[in-house]
Amino acid sequence: MRERFFPDFDWHTVFVQPWTDYSENSFWIVLMGFLVSGTCGLVGCFVILRRMALVGDAISHSLLPGITIAFLLTNSRDTLPMMLGAIAAGVATVALIEAIRHSSRIKPDAAIGIVFSSLFAIGVILISAFADKIDLDAECVLYGELGFIPLQDVVMFGGMEIGPEPVVRMAIIGLIAIGLLLSFFKEMLVTSFDPGLAASLGINPTRYQYGLTLFLSVVIVSSFESVGVVLVIAMIIFPGATALLLTDRLPKAIWLSTLFSALYAGLGFHLATWLEASIAGGMTVIAGFIFGLVWIAAPDRGLLTKFAKRALKSEIVLPNP
Amino acid sequence: MQSSPTTNLSSKSAAPLEVHDLTVAYTKRPVLYGIDLEIPKGSIVGVVGPNGAGKSTLIRAIMGLLPVSSGWIKVFGKPFKQAVTRVGYVPQRESVDWDFPVNALDVVLMGRYGRLGPFKRPSKADKEIAMNCLEKVKMDSYAKRQISNLSGGQQQRVFLARALAQESDLYLMDEPFVGVDATTESAIIEILRELQAQGKTLIVVHHDLTTAPEYFDRILLLNMRVVAYGKTEDVFTFENLQNAYGGRLSILSEVALTRARKKFDGDTRDNVGQ
Amino acid sequence: MNRTGKQILFALALLALPFLAHAAKIGEISETTWTDQAIDFFTMQQPIVRTALTGSLLIGFCCGILGSFLVVRKLSLLGDTLSHAVLPGVAMGFLWNASKDPWAIFVGATAAGILGVALVGWIKQTTHLKEDSTMGMVLAGFYGVGICMTTVIQNMAMGNKSGLDKFFFGQAAALSSGDIELLSIIALITVVVILGFYKEFLVISFDSGFAQALGMPVKVLHYALMALLTFAVVVSLQAVGVVLVSALLITPAAAAFLLTDRMHWMLVLAAAFGMLAGAIGAFVSYLSNNLPTGPFIVLGATGIFLLALLFGPRHGLLPKMLRRRKQRQRIALENTLKAVFHLSESSQFKDQVFEIGRLATERNATLHETESEIRNLVKADMASRLDSRNGPEMSGQAQFELTKSGWYRACEIVRNHRLWELYLTNAAQYPIDHVHDDAEDIEHHLGEELVHRIEERLENPIHDPHGKLIPNRESIKL
Repeated sequence: MRERFFPDFDWHTVFVQPWTDYSENSFWIVLMGFLVSGTCGLVGCFVILRRMALVGDAISHSLLPGITIAFLLTNSRDTLPMMLGAIAAGVATVALIEAIRHSSRIKPDAAIGIVFSSLFAIGVILISAFADKIDLDAECVLYGELGFIPLQDVVMFGGMEIGPEPVVRMAIIGLIAIGLLLSFFKEMLVTSFDPGLAASLGINPTRYQYGLTLFLSVVIVSSFESVGVVLVIAMIIFPGATALLLTDRLPKAIWLSTLFSALYAGLGFHLATWLEASIAGGMTVIAGFIFGLVWIAAPDRGLLTKFAKRALKSEIVLPNP
Repeated sequence: MQSSPTTNLSSKSAAPLEVHDLTVAYTKRPVLYGIDLEIPKGSIVGVVGPNGAGKSTLIRAIMGLLPVSSGWIKVFGKPFKQAVTRVGYVPQRESVDWDFPVNALDVVLMGRYGRLGPFKRPSKADKEIAMNCLEKVKMDSYAKRQISNLSGGQQQRVFLARALAQESDLYLMDEPFVGVDATTESAIIEILRELQAQGKTLIVVHHDLTTAPEYFDRILLLNMRVVAYGKTEDVFTFENLQNAYGGRLSILSEVALTRARKKFDGDTRDNVGQ
Repeated sequence: MNRTGKQILFALALLALPFLAHAAKIGEISETTWTDQAIDFFTMQQPIVRTALTGSLLIGFCCGILGSFLVVRKLSLLGDTLSHAVLPGVAMGFLWNASKDPWAIFVGATAAGILGVALVGWIKQTTHLKEDSTMGMVLAGFYGVGICMTTVIQNMAMGNKSGLDKFFFGQAAALSSGDIELLSIIALITVVVILGFYKEFLVISFDSGFAQALGMPVKVLHYALMALLTFAVVVSLQAVGVVLVSALLITPAAAAFLLTDRMHWMLVLAAAFGMLAGAIGAFVSYLSNNLPTGPFIVLGATGIFLLALLFGPRHGLLPKMLRRRKQRQRIALENTLKAVFHLSESSQFKDQVFEIGRLATERNATLHETESEIRNLVKADMASRLDSRNGPEMSGQAQFELTKSGWYRACEIVRNHRLWELYLTNAAQYPIDHVHDDAEDIEHHLGEELVHRIEERLENPIHDPHGKLIPNRESIKL
């Protein structure tokens, strides 16, 4: 038990010890952090450009009843039923939002709010009511358990230990994300930029919309046990949003978002080590901090540049009244 | 006054666009009503009419972006989906997010996507074509600019270049002259004429009555229904314009609105609004 | 989409029931009966129940009123952002003197909430990022900071007695009498401010540009509303929880929005729904002993919303469906009448009595269908049977005639049809082969007033474009 909020900062315990004394644990935690935020960031770039950020938020909350029901039905924590439950919940969320929008005069923002809060409430009640049967606890939902990743079962492949199961799963999903990105980049680009043009080119925009929503559900469900329901949104939005302040090109933004994800994982881990706080929380704090820095100091679009430009302009204008 | 569609066209000689008895209604607002249209190959057709006359709706309906309540549309004798590669589209400038992280060349390259098909990326040849198209609209020096850093006229020219890159036979353009400077306007019209000379067909939504007769050789006067359609000199009469722009058809829109409300809400009131 | 959408909604409504039932069952585990507990609860004999119920009611009241403004301004999710953004403030307030002092937490949380809302506006103004991403970032970013701080606090010596976890999912029983004091004050301020500045808030919600032109301090009013919202969110946190408090802002207001077209009624209804949801949630949570209150309040609100969505008299799905069905029946009736008119017309109106078999041939329908149509006409007092037998079965030879009101309506329908055909061909220049189908539909919808105007516009015509007589006012009166 400690008394102060900020413990003394000691370089050795914060930055060196994790890599000498508990190097294996630290490695898996940081790798998982990077895989989660990297994959989320990849999908997130498109989520941002399609203005689906809040739909993503809704999906992440609605997954709770989905996986809880899947758990209660199958009584196991296997990946497949969980995934199916999550995908069903994601689809149901989007369908319900659309249904409320189309059948009444409720605006989309209110529809999103109603749907996700109701589903989340159902999930919380289920978890609390069946607390003895479900080893999903409230804390896991709120801020994930990235710190426990090294304790998970290790996946064996051909007699070789590969790594903790969640890490392997996340890596596979990350690879799928990269594969999808390479295969459908131009379709995603054109449907995001101009659905009308996409249709006129014979590329069905709704199909890609649903595809993205589905994949987003998959990414969220595999990330959420590491970072929690709310912080997964941070991992989806922050990398892309920060990158988009720095570049005008989408491919470059995607590279940058991956780089930021690595920073979140590394620095967030050390911040959490120092404060003895939640690692996902630490990653989000770093994400917010980096966004703040970029927002203020980005070369073209930063606040400083903007103020400087404005000051320059007013100087030029002033002399001729 | 209205050209009736010629019957039984084989797809070889099929007109670029044929519309028969088309009615389009949004949930509450009916917009197009019994439209008949046949556009001959190689013509530039101006679609003219007052605000809310359904000009953009017509374009969007042709591309299958809106559900059609009744009637049919054929592009080169086929449903739109099967003729997709032969149609180029220039949307309204406001329809896209100009902050999107792409540069002018990226936007023009999108015009090639329809031909590429799935899993293929644009090749060097595609990039060259895109550059050529940018050159044609005199925008080649802006190829690497992010699109929000272009002026309104330049943005419109990028859109036009993209349509050129589609290498289509029928072009649908939604208000290409809105918010552009005089140079861009004449540059655009020059390109339109060039396309026409190559035997392409163009349908252009236009809102400026003063320039319409000069730009187009055929005019479609639209106000919920086809007021008049044909050669510019035949259509551009005082009476037709008054029919299209004058308020004499308030009953038509009112009745259509009443019906829509009753259909979708089961409204029991006698007639709504006035 | 429309149809499947509705089916999904019905399914959801059905889904909600078992949860409430389940919740009720948890209550039955204890020795007293359900009703006894209800009496026990709502008479508020135990002090802890008194604070929980009063607190929930006050929360529902404040959130309902203030949420209405968010919903009409399409800012619903700003409420969500706000509720997440207060978390670091709560932690900060807690650190201030290491106890659950409502005032310290209140001040910290309010500061954080307002900072969050201001940041959303500021980022949006100075970057090209869109509103949804901005809100998502502030929401998740602040929440992340809050999570960091709470996990640290829980590791600290004072963490054990913090009760900070109540802030996540909400427990009405955790409300103290100090919280109730605070809540009452907030409710009072809300009422005073909203009553005092009702017209200002109405104008800025509807058209803030116009409000600016009127010289209203739009920015000040906006931030005043945001401050009130923050207050409401902060005091609701303990009962409803960070994640779910936004539902209390959105759902009751959205339900009210479905039921009324006037802003002041919406405020009243939203406040009432909020209180109802609060009472339901507090009660169910009381029944189930240790389950969190927040989710039950939210589901209570969702239940109210679904009821409004399904049964609201003006916009509800069920009344709409019934109205549409009634209309379909009316149209079927009118089509039968029209066919009878055509039969009569083909004999220059000499025939007034008809055989069902003839009508069936005219309508191209089976005898059976036609019989049921005539039965409906008789029921609506538009036709009478000339058959002596009064049994339900009819034969093809059975005869009937139209009553006066039946003739009247038949003439009206035919008039509407022919008049509309004439309007389309003469006034709207439609080709003559395009007008019939449209008239088939519109004839059932034209009101007296519109007919009159069309007649005027066409200068009281006598013949339709096919040369047939348009039954006029005189002939209709018979």
